[in-house]
Amino acid sequence: MSIVLGIESSAHTFGVGIVEDGRIIANEKEMFPIESGIIPAKVADFHSSNAYNVIKRALSKTKLSFNEIDAIGYTKGPGLGPCLRIGQLAARTLALKYNKPLFPVNHSLAHIEVVKSLEKIEDALVLYVSGGNSQILALVDKPFKHYHVYGETFDIGIGNMLDAFARSAQLKPAWGSSVAKAAEKGSYIPMPYTVKGMDFTFTGLLTYAEKALESHRLEDVAYSLQETAFAMLVEATERALLLTKKNAVIICGGVAQSSRLSSMLSSMLAQHNASLYRAPNELNADNGAMIAVVAEKMFKSKIKYSIDECDINQRYRIDSVEIGW
Amino acid sequence: MVKMERRKIAEGAEAVIYESRFLDTPCIVKERIEKEYRNKLLDEKIRKERTLNEARIIALASSNNINAPFVFLISRYAITMYKIEGTNLNILMGDKIESELIRKVAVQLAKLHNINIAHGDFTPANIIVDKYRNPYIIDFGLAEITPSIEEKALDILLMKRSISRSEFNIFLEEYKKEAKKSKEILERLREIETRGRYQIRSLV
Repeated sequence: MSIVLGIESSAHTFGVGIVEDGRIIANEKEMFPIESGIIPAKVADFHSSNAYNVIKRALSKTKLSFNEIDAIGYTKGPGLGPCLRIGQLAARTLALKYNKPLFPVNHSLAHIEVVKSLEKIEDALVLYVSGGNSQILALVDKPFKHYHVYGETFDIGIGNMLDAFARSAQLKPAWGSSVAKAAEKGSYIPMPYTVKGMDFTFTGLLTYAEKALESHRLEDVAYSLQETAFAMLVEATERALLLTKKNAVIICGGVAQSSRLSSMLSSMLAQHNASLYRAPNELNADNGAMIAVVAEKMFKSKIKYSIDECDINQRYRIDSVEIGW
Repeated sequence: MVKMERRKIAEGAEAVIYESRFLDTPCIVKERIEKEYRNKLLDEKIRKERTLNEARIIALASSNNINAPFVFLISRYAITMYKIEGTNLNILMGDKIESELIRKVAVQLAKLHNINIAHGDFTPANIIVDKYRNPYIIDFGLAEITPSIEEKALDILLMKRSISRSEFNIFLEEYKKEAKKSKEILERLREIETRGRYQIRSLV
């Protein structure tokens, strides 16, 4: 039996989740209200003024006192420095005050592991799509057990690309779903399509789409942008699927909430008799529970971190994390 | 046109490969298949452009004495080309491979780059080694005719990720000798690798 609390603060969400033996028993959050992008310091202020309340809310959901928590996890990175710092500080303070073990968690890894834990699936190819990240990954054993990045964006994450376009088109947040909505009645305009093996780039497509807004209907541009970008992701994933010979794909991260992307993936996977796994939306958006899920695995594996090792790293790559469970 | 007899030998992510005979010569047909997940117009555009582009680049490469397949026929979504008998380099790499072979691979890539072709997917799986241990470059599906230094540096980066460090050093040594713009290209390679997020991408 173990109960672990996780704190997430890598971007605009301050989240606190609690898991009990892999089961999520609380998942509370406060999101910075975004109007025109993120100023890290402002979001950090928001997080620090909400931290106490969100932690308290999560605890009261479970009717537990802090002494009953066995371990604490927090997001070490990747993410925005000032935001990460708040979560780390809160976690460190609690760990020292209540004398609990503390675990630094990789944010990307948490997005993946929460799906694996919910779906009870171990061996799968992963398409991780969020604001700042777009990667195709799978576990490998050499030179140490870690997630190998088979392919990734060479410039910006798919989420940031959709956000930037939505702002140019003066759409309202949440931008990803605004673009999807605008795309509903669109028809296709040719746009640049850039896949290199299993890697891809989005900035050329973004610039083209922003320019196209001057001469085309918004719905056509939104539709074509979305179709082109998603087709690139699916093509790269298909290539990785054949290379790794997996028969399951996990899609996770904020953009995994897109139903169009999932349906394109399913269509591709059906050709290869492979299945698709996706977490419920509230677990694809940034949240504390996914951090707790990984922290619990670390706790159970008996890995220990000294308080000084519990730092933050804005560029904490998932492929540098050794999976010790 | 007479329908040729053909036998499916492989199915890749974007194309089906058939073995066939053309005027009694063994040949390979690479046909790009429809992908239902993507918009029909986008799908046709990708398949048509890539087929034409690939055929054009293979023809350019082989007419410049680069070891590449010879193209017989081009149709809307399919290319028919001469079959290269041999073993893929990634399969040979299970054992230690001789440095001479690595050098030959580097020469082929340098020659491609010298005529401004970037391969786009330059991995050992896309190199066939014949019985005389000569490497042939195949699958120009993602190749481009481009003056871009970056695209060429990316070819080298892909190869670097696929072979061991000592093999890569031999590869580089030969590439530097043969490629006209090796200095600029290798400088760009270093720059790409220091772009934050790609610094520590792991190898398998």
